[in-house]
Amino acid sequence: MAETLLALDDVRAGYGESVVLDGISLELAEGGSLAVLGRNGVGKTTLLLTIMGFTRVVSGSMRWRGRDIGRVAPHRRARLGIGWVAQEREIFASLTVEENLTVAARAGRWDVPAVYRLFPRLAERRRNMGSHLSGGEQQMLAIARALTTNPALLLLDEPLEGLAPIIVEELAEAIGRMMAEEGTAVVLVEQHTDVALSLARDAVVIERGAIALRGSSRTMMADQSSLDRLIGLNLTAADDRGR
Amino acid sequence: MIAPAVGVLFDGFAYGMLLFLLSVGLSVTLGMMNFVNLAHGSFAMVGAYVAVSLMGLGWPFFATLPCAFLVAGVISVGFERTLFRRVYRASDLQQVLLTIGLAFISVAAAAWFYGTMQQPVRLPVYLRTYATFMGINFSIYRLFLIAVALAVTGLLVGALDYTRFGAQVRAAVDNQRMAQGLGVDVDTVFAITFALGSGLAGLGGALAIEIVGLDPNFTFTYLIYVLIVVAVGGLGSIRGSLLAAILLGVSDAAGKYYVPTLGAFLIYLVMVSLLLWRPSGLFGRR
Ligand SMILES: Nc1ncnc2c1ncn2[C@@H]1O[C@H](COP(=O)(O)OP(=O)(O)OP(=O)(O)O)[C@@H](O)[C@H]1O
Ligand SMILES: [Mg+2]
Repeated sequence: MAETLLALDDVRAGYGESVVLDGISLELAEGGSLAVLGRNGVGKTTLLLTIMGFTRVVSGSMRWRGRDIGRVAPHRRARLGIGWVAQEREIFASLTVEENLTVAARAGRWDVPAVYRLFPRLAERRRNMGSHLSGGEQQMLAIARALTTNPALLLLDEPLEGLAPIIVEELAEAIGRMMAEEGTAVVLVEQHTDVALSLARDAVVIERGAIALRGSSRTMMADQSSLDRLIGLNLTAADDRGR
Repeated sequence: MIAPAVGVLFDGFAYGMLLFLLSVGLSVTLGMMNFVNLAHGSFAMVGAYVAVSLMGLGWPFFATLPCAFLVAGVISVGFERTLFRRVYRASDLQQVLLTIGLAFISVAAAAWFYGTMQQPVRLPVYLRTYATFMGINFSIYRLFLIAVALAVTGLLVGALDYTRFGAQVRAAVDNQRMAQGLGVDVDTVFAITFALGSGLAGLGGALAIEIVGLDPNFTFTYLIYVLIVVAVGGLGSIRGSLLAAILLGVSDAAGKYYVPTLGAFLIYLVMVSLLLWRPSGLFGRR
């Protein structure tokens, strides 16, 4: 059994007065992978923001390799090895593509040439400003930027959202390769249920800020009726939405 | 006819360079960190009094300049860490009240320790001389001032555009949360930026004594010019500050020479017309 990388214990968190996450507990092993599914607005992004330290935690605890990180500042969590790809991509507009990659880079095997090999398209655009990129390129850059911090855990917030099918395939493949070859642990928030379940080993479905269903991706894939009930879209419909 | 015009241009340009040194730090902190620091003039004054005090102890003029930069920078970062950061998220009014209060305190403190009289500056003799070129006299001191300001501009632009620290400053300004989420220590980046800006004001203060003199009113006299430069140049733009400072310096010198009845008032006319033309400043983004 691999060591526990990240553990959340009964975490309640939200923004200001409003509590969005209502008692979330989960564990992720080193090199593990977890798909986070759920309808719009159930708290998936809030979960990632909470792991990064950007929300107000009301109660519960969070551990990173056994150490309590509940009071650790976001930039220190990033330095501990958590890489974050935000839902809105949030590319730095006044930095070039290459500067976006080097601005927070930390030593490790994901250096700039390595991410260019993963996303050759970015290499062609290296001198473009961050503001002059297509949606797909921004998404690749957001992932590549998180990779250059050489994280042990990558938090991906809907990395495939709004992309053309061909790019979805390309990106999904890159993410899969990253997990398999580097042993990077991943928390993958995704609307493409089928892709998410095929990439991640385990999965949780969130409903109104709490975990409504959890299990291995394989069993969840088979439990079509629960997925229908909790996500409200069957797999083919979810797939259509992405196209 | 030509000679006075060149002389006026030269003096105005040198004065503009001085205004640039005094104001670039405020432009950066206001434009990038959204912090209204009306105590900026006080850091310039600190630099000036540091230079005067050290010269009083017998230090040579040149040796006092780095000290003026350092002391102003260090003091400002002390305030940033303890006071200013508490009001980063507060309203503009609260920031204004806090920093203008500090500016008043600094004026009172300067008057208490140094009195209200003009402070002497002891320049090396050769800085007081002139270089003659095509029959026109150029003050060596002003040439020196221009050289320092141009060097500072080059270093600043280079640091902001071509170093990783500069990229981190720009990233933090673009998107503070994302920068933190990637591991950039935004607080420290801002503190260093703040110290640099105040340090430059301190250096400007020390260089200003020879040109405009020094008494406790320095803080407020130059706060006004600095605010004009920042408003005209556009918040957060180094190039904008530079251009605005030169424009204002030259129009001030020209006003005093050619239209003495308007005198120092011309600078305000220039400001109003430029802002009517471009309300967010020459290089303003908003
Ligand atoms: N900054 C905020 N302040 C207050 N409430 C917020 C904030 N951001 C999100 N919320 C609320 O928190 C709840 C969960 O939002 P969250 O963004 O986590 O949902 P999500 O599961 O990521 O949805 P989606 O699939 O649309 O991205 C929503 O009800 C939302 O309105
Ligand atoms: Mg979301």
